[in-house]
Amino acid sequence: MSVLKEKIKGVYEGLCAKNWSPLMGGILLAFFVVLLETWYRPWGIVGGLRNWADWFFYGLGLYEDEPPHPLWFSSSILDIGLVWGAFISAALAREFGIRVPPKIEFIKAIVAGILMGIGSALAMGCNVGGFYMAVNNLAANGLVMMIGLIFGVILGVKYLYWELEHFPSAGGFEISFRKINPILGVIALIGLLLATKAYFGSEADDGATLGGCLILTAAIGYTMHRSRFCMVNALREPFMTGEAVMGKALAISLILSAIGIAILKYNEFRPEMAYVTPTFGIGALLGGFIFGAAMVVAGGCGSGSLWRVAEGQVKLVVVVIFFALTNSLVRHLFAEYEVIESGYLGKAIFMPEYLGYAGTLFLIALAVIVWYIVIDWNEDTNKLVLEM
Amino acid sequence: MADIKVAPDDVKADMTIDCKGLSCPMPLLKTKKAIQKLQSGQILEVLGTDPGSRNDIPGWCERAGHEYLGEKQDQGFIRFYVKKG
Repeated sequence: MSVLKEKIKGVYEGLCAKNWSPLMGGILLAFFVVLLETWYRPWGIVGGLRNWADWFFYGLGLYEDEPPHPLWFSSSILDIGLVWGAFISAALAREFGIRVPPKIEFIKAIVAGILMGIGSALAMGCNVGGFYMAVNNLAANGLVMMIGLIFGVILGVKYLYWELEHFPSAGGFEISFRKINPILGVIALIGLLLATKAYFGSEADDGATLGGCLILTAAIGYTMHRSRFCMVNALREPFMTGEAVMGKALAISLILSAIGIAILKYNEFRPEMAYVTPTFGIGALLGGFIFGAAMVVAGGCGSGSLWRVAEGQVKLVVVVIFFALTNSLVRHLFAEYEVIESGYLGKAIFMPEYLGYAGTLFLIALAVIVWYIVIDWNEDTNKLVLEM
Repeated sequence: MADIKVAPDDVKADMTIDCKGLSCPMPLLKTKKAIQKLQSGQILEVLGTDPGSRNDIPGWCERAGHEYLGEKQDQGFIRFYVKKG
């Protein structure tokens, strides 16, 4: 093989076949979420899922108001882009296949999905909108949700240990598409480029805006799948195996994206209250706890569930369906009884109003550094690892 | 795929667990539990379909003091081999 061919093969393998490190995933994720917020809006997951579920209930006649069209609604486009990008990554790396789990996993998927829907309704966002994007949008509720998530994750790990003792499972299988994976990947890539071009070329006012959202979230999906960047892993592994690689990558991603978005808000490029939700209180704490426990049982958080759907994990398809349906119903009930407006979930606290921008970034950095040091120490000592 | 370590042809397992169809973290948890039943030097075979196991199992072996012997691709699943440390 000529040197040139070898170099081209090396680039292809580096971009499309080999896993990227979690750190690279975290840095790229921070880069793309800052770009997305610069382009139009903060990254999110639940809003899109809820939009799809709203259509389901609207179709059943349960809801009176027609939801926005999924192809012309930014929240929905963010999820479509993520799944699309992750599918391209999975297919090009020959990792796409329909993976059918043992029966018990379906029951877990339904229960976990329902709890994720409830938790994300209480926190007004999942680990993405309620935690990662809340923290980097300088919202106090994000830090509170992090506390809830950590304690929820501990409960989730304890449950999984218990389950292993009492309900051993086996009998899953995979329908493999290894041979045609690269073809599917190329078709999906061409489709993505054509869809983006169609949005940019459309006469609709927000066509270009949505086109940008689609391609940027596809980049997020591609990045997350290639690096297997997973916030469940980041929060769970310190308590399950002691591993801290993903936890450290998440910490670095958080601080990088917070700096980027702080610049956008400080310069009034984006509204200061964007992604600052009235959940600083019981909403973020309890929502985080429920969501944290459920995402461990599900095997995927908001974003992690979607990119695993894209690689063909049937369990996560079930999780996402029940997550979306439940979130839609609970948020519908909240609207009916004005739960959010009445302040039952907590207050909306934009931290720079109290601490200034520098003070807020300092606080976030402090929280992230404490987390980093604790999981690094735990990686050597295993003090936080729960005994099986 | 990750940088794949191929298991030796003559590797023989002392115990096999079925993790096919399971997604993260169940394959790793089942591996962690099963290896407790083996003696040092014995080999555990893990049958799995989750691409994440290619990172999770070798990474855990390194931390837990076990030797990751590699994997073999089979029809619709992967065989991972771990030698208890």
